[in-house]
Amino acid sequence: MVFGPIPNRDYHERFMRKAIEMAEFALASDETPVGCVFVHEGEVIGRGINGTNASLNGTRHAEFVALAEIIAHHPQSIIRETDLYVTVEPCIMCASALRQYGIRAVYFGCLNDRFGGCGGVMNIHADPGVDRSYPVYGGLFREEAIMLLRRFYVQENEKAPDPKPKKNRELKTEILPVTVTPVPVSQNATPIDTPPVGTPAAVATPVLGAQEVKIKK
Amino acid sequence: MAALRRDSKVIDDVVAKRHMVHLKTKEECRLGNETIQVWTVELPSKHAEGILRVIKDNIPGQDDIDLQHLRRFAKPKYLPGHVIGKRDLVKEMYAVPRAWESTPQSVMQAPATTSWEYSNPNRSRGNARPSTLHLLICPTKVVDLPRLHQVLSEHTPFCSSADSWAYPLEIKEITVPRLAPTSQTQAEEWSDDFWPTFYRKTNPFGAHPSSIRKAENELQEPENENIGVEAALALAERAGDDTVRRGVGAGPGCVIVERVEGRTEIIAVAGDARYKPQANAAANDQSDACCKGNMMGHAVMRAIGMVGRKRLRCASQIVTKAAAKAEGNFTKGGLEHDTNARDAFFSDLPITPLEKEYFERDNLKPDGYLCLRLEIYLTHEPCIMCSMALVHSRVGRVIFKQRMPKTGGLTSEMVRNDSGPVGLGYGLCWRKELNWQFMCWEYMTNEDEGTVSRQDLRKVSTEKYQQEEDEADSEDANVTSSSFARMHV
Repeated sequence: MVFGPIPNRDYHERFMRKAIEMAEFALASDETPVGCVFVHEGEVIGRGINGTNASLNGTRHAEFVALAEIIAHHPQSIIRETDLYVTVEPCIMCASALRQYGIRAVYFGCLNDRFGGCGGVMNIHADPGVDRSYPVYGGLFREEAIMLLRRFYVQENEKAPDPKPKKNRELKTEILPVTVTPVPVSQNATPIDTPPVGTPAAVATPVLGAQEVKIKK
Repeated sequence: MAALRRDSKVIDDVVAKRHMVHLKTKEECRLGNETIQVWTVELPSKHAEGILRVIKDNIPGQDDIDLQHLRRFAKPKYLPGHVIGKRDLVKEMYAVPRAWESTPQSVMQAPATTSWEYSNPNRSRGNARPSTLHLLICPTKVVDLPRLHQVLSEHTPFCSSADSWAYPLEIKEITVPRLAPTSQTQAEEWSDDFWPTFYRKTNPFGAHPSSIRKAENELQEPENENIGVEAALALAERAGDDTVRRGVGAGPGCVIVERVEGRTEIIAVAGDARYKPQANAAANDQSDACCKGNMMGHAVMRAIGMVGRKRLRCASQIVTKAAAKAEGNFTKGGLEHDTNARDAFFSDLPITPLEKEYFERDNLKPDGYLCLRLEIYLTHEPCIMCSMALVHSRVGRVIFKQRMPKTGGLTSEMVRNDSGPVGLGYGLCWRKELNWQFMCWEYMTNEDEGTVSRQDLRKVSTEKYQQEEDEADSEDANVTSSSFARMHV
């Protein structure tokens, strides 16, 4: 109930488990542990982990890597009948890309409170726009998704221009429960001096957790 | 059509000189219309420090909301009339000099008003009243009136004392600007309208004014062999036109420049290639769903990808090794590894001779990070995906020529705009919530900016973009040709 009810949760957990496996694999390969699978009619048609280290391209997110696999075999229009399962909420860039490709629905583990585009920071999936909006469902294996990220972020990023020493970091294991608070509507959805534009009715928005991946500075 | 539209504008472009206009950030757009209610009180200046301490000690959270741009204490003569209010006229009556009473000075305390100071500038009389100050106590939401009243009435000068007859405790609720001003002029206007306001010669809501000026000089008056904004944007347009001519592009183009020790190098040139065929024939269906083409073919995504590839090529052995290891892991994990298909999907290899020419130069400083502080020149405002890709890539400066009000991710205005139509209002170039900000300019004709008064803006921008609006209204329109305004760039 934390992120809102997900009908037929067992079915979706099956695919989220596969996404978690991808994230585990990413962690073992020194990539940011985010994993995803795209599912079409009960079948995985694309899998991905971040490819930023291999490509030196900061936009090579797991979703894009998986899309490349899909497009290698299928027409692009298949995405309109496809659901995405990703361990961490898609970022603003991916959220917009998924909307432009016409994704049917997105299921994710934990929120991304640094640059999430499906409720974490912005609501790119539901804001008024020229493309069809899509529903998002969060909270599938949320704790596991968070722990994967924490295990990664206690390491140092030697590639960053100004690597931060993280010797004193320790891996925290307690995860605060999600508190039920109303979704903060993004600046974009409601400008302060215009009436809010109607949000598409068919879109389910996750109820945000107050606490997500917080890294001790 | 995109290219055609641009061609039809060529004549205008030749005539119309353009210049860089820095985009307003999301927060700057909020400014001016965001206010907050605060409590104020008038008190004799000799008690000012004491009362401030009382407030600090007794009202928790009074500093939680940053109001550093407002004076804490203000002299009555610097306050707008409505803040001083009516009651002070009554106080002024107390202030009539009553020399005949030869009252001890300590009792004769009343507010010093402008008129009083004027009529008695030298304060020569023995019973001249000490000056008074208005104190900005705290935002009203921090403490309620009864509680505040109770706290203050227990302390001098508001408790029963010699002073209290002249200072009946009178707490006022006034409206003040919530955020700091971004110019001296704005600070002066706010001081006249609300409460004395500071301008601290910095911009807490965007890039520092001096960095913006420096960038504008470097780009608009390039030194030596350096490429300037005019030439870079011309190159971007050429790149966009080239791919249109090949039947794979929608018009937009992108140029990425690195500036090292004052010298510029063109790192990547990319035209839009969203209609480029995929490696697999099955992927190239002509159904409606694919009219938008492949999003990875957007000029920004392609150019960023080219920079990554060039980085790999120009990298030291350590970096190359690390990347190769990452790539190896990929394969080990059993992930799809059809290089042709992948390259076709991301289309981050050059297509045209122009793209190739710049891609093949090994002119990138080795072992840099992503697109850190690079300069991006764009024919059009990028879509949300591409705007966020620029954030992820840590770019430094972005300049685009044409706003895309229905799809663009960089502009912040949703309500009104000095220079063009209002857009979606994401303002992704400078969002405090995100972990990277960059400077961003619109390269606009001189006529477009500053020549229209604010009231006329909506009309002007509507007319200017009416054509595109009309086209966009027709849902069945062929996406590739007529509703360019609804296209993601």
